Amino acid sequence: MAAITPKLDMIKSVQSAPEKECYVPGHRTCAGCGPALCYRLVAKAAGKNTILIGPTGCMYVANTSYSCGPWAVPWIHTQITSGGSCASGIEAAYQAMIRKGKYKGDFPGIVVMAGDGGSADIGIQAMSAALYRAHNILFICYDNESYANTGIQVSPTTPYGAWTSFTPSGPVVPEARKLFPKDLTKMITRGHPALQFAATASIGYPVDLMNKVRMGINAEGPAFLYLHCPCPKGWSFPSERTVEVARLAVDCGMFQIYTWDKETGEFHVDYTPRQQKPVAEYVKLQGRFSHLQPEHIAKLQAFADKRFEEVGIEVAAPAAK
Amino acid sequence: MGTKKNMTGCIATANACRLADVDVICSYPIRPYTGIMSELAKMVADGELDAEFVLGEGEHGQLSVTYGASAAGARAFTGSSGVGVTYAMELYSPMAGERLPAQMAIADRTLDPPGDFGEEHTDAMCCRDQGWLQGWAATSEEALDITLMFYRMGEDPEVYLPQYACQDGYFVSHIVRECDLPDQAAVDEFLPPFKPEHYLEVNNPMIIGAQMQPEEGPPMQYQRYEAIEGARSIIEKATAEYNKIIGRDYDPWLECYKSEDADYILFEQGAHAMTAKAVVDKLRDAGEKVGVVRLRMLRPFPAKQVAEALKNAKAVGTVDCGVALGISGAAGILFTEVRTALYTADKQPITVGFVAGLGGEVITHDEFYRMFCKLEEVAAAGKAEPETYWFPFEL
Repeated sequence: MAAITPKLDMIKSVQSAPEKECYVPGHRTCAGCGPALCYRLVAKAAGKNTILIGPTGCMYVANTSYSCGPWAVPWIHTQITSGGSCASGIEAAYQAMIRKGKYKGDFPGIVVMAGDGGSADIGIQAMSAALYRAHNILFICYDNESYANTGIQVSPTTPYGAWTSFTPSGPVVPEARKLFPKDLTKMITRGHPALQFAATASIGYPVDLMNKVRMGINAEGPAFLYLHCPCPKGWSFPSERTVEVARLAVDCGMFQIYTWDKETGEFHVDYTPRQQKPVAEYVKLQGRFSHLQPEHIAKLQAFADKRFEEVGIEVAAPAAK
Repeated sequence: MGTKKNMTGCIATANACRLADVDVICSYPIRPYTGIMSELAKMVADGELDAEFVLGEGEHGQLSVTYGASAAGARAFTGSSGVGVTYAMELYSPMAGERLPAQMAIADRTLDPPGDFGEEHTDAMCCRDQGWLQGWAATSEEALDITLMFYRMGEDPEVYLPQYACQDGYFVSHIVRECDLPDQAAVDEFLPPFKPEHYLEVNNPMIIGAQMQPEEGPPMQYQRYEAIEGARSIIEKATAEYNKIIGRDYDPWLECYKSEDADYILFEQGAHAMTAKAVVDKLRDAGEKVGVVRLRMLRPFPAKQVAEALKNAKAVGTVDCGVALGISGAAGILFTEVRTALYTADKQPITVGFVAGLGGEVITHDEFYRMFCKLEEVAAAGKAEPETYWFPFEL
């Protein structure tokens, strides 16, 4: 019988969320850093009985620049490839040690915080293997839509049309980024038979995010959580607008908040925009899209519309001018 | 002492893991080490060994799983061969630098190109400077023994270093030999449970592997240098304990076979030394003063002991069973290591570098004989010109 973690209760509101911080001051993340804001919520929701795994990325380098880390729980660095595999090793160790009587405590929550590169790109092999092998872990992808740690380079989740230092715009490539991104959550949920829980969440909706972390840890087996974390530096917007950009992403279709239904395979939308906003409004806020022409924005709008439809959100007709 | 059992190197290594009560195993198939993992899978399925058998997704993943398991406080085991060993390369420095004493069995194989199943030491030699303990077994019994000894050495609180337990692909991994299989009680006396001082545990949180500023680089690297050099005394202590408890007679560093008064000595590691010993016996019967020195520990390299063992010979031939392309001396790694070890010795034998057994070919009695003849020739001439010979093309 595989060991499981003690269950965590759902959080009813921001006011009633635990006061204890497990992600504390003493790091070098940018002002307004979306991933850091997420990390505070993830660590708070996960609590004391947690081991965190940090593949190389912003949430490694920027958090440990001073040869220490801002986590009040055990944390280990791993290679950017290896979030899934390192977590698997820790999980297997605790399964063995508990079963063999070498460890007497509770089974810990084992949580990977991997960037989009460490999940969808170089990390995809290890991530998929961990979810397939039925390890009792929570794999979180914090998506800031680039390899931000190394100075903003394109990743498989970078949106069409976004500037990065590997996808600059110029006469040859006016849209800068030509490819459309991988849809990691949908890839994960189709074909990992042992997967117990998968959902998306956004820094724009913190209570939902924290509860999904807890649902992921509570799940008795592999769990996956995909977090949208706007990056003021990489996307070029003022650092005080991170949460606003996150909410706008959800309202215009560039990100959806949903939970995967394990029984039916369907996606249950957790937040439906009351009023859908045009992608052009989202694009205008961010310097990384400043080179886009109307024909490019139209392609991005079509992409967002399709993402709405894929989870069953009907695309609203454009508001009359 | 124990019980007699016929085993290949693969089966012997698996038995050692069982005796060591490893907690986490991470598998991935590649010839010729795969048999270790199949045997362990069977032991786990039959209830002979209680361990998590993690089905790795590739060799880089295997080492990453092993890294995590060791960091969590488990005794962890993995293995590979050939290009699998080089695919996992990224993990070797972090594991040694973070002082995670897991073990990796390497059943040697040539590197691509192309996919040659035959053995060379090339694969494992590529990893030699990453900060791990490393040594070669020449027989299946020795493969079992080094598995147990290396865990004891690596897990010692004075050491905390991972270990490569190497064995010749096919010649050790697949050939059946009679082994003495130690009793569990004897192994338990020799190898205590793994109880690391630093590991991932919620009641004692710590940060492992934080980023570092450049000014912290020198102290950390110096610590790693002190660790591997400091391991020497533990290697000697553990070997003596093993000999006493299990009933063996190993020198920690070298097997010196009829070399004490030899004029001509061949220096090599692994199973081909067994063939060389047979040739030594024949030549000794004919009155020739020849010997073999077999290196047991490659890292840390026993330079002092090597110089002592070789310096009184007239000529020494190193036998590199692998390639190190472009290297100084144009033979192989053992040639350059031995030359460096002898550089400050008070006596200087002439040294010749032989490269043999490439691709998994047997090094024949006749080839060893020609090596000894060449050593006699260079001793008479007073120098080696050329200094290196690649078999079978140049000698």
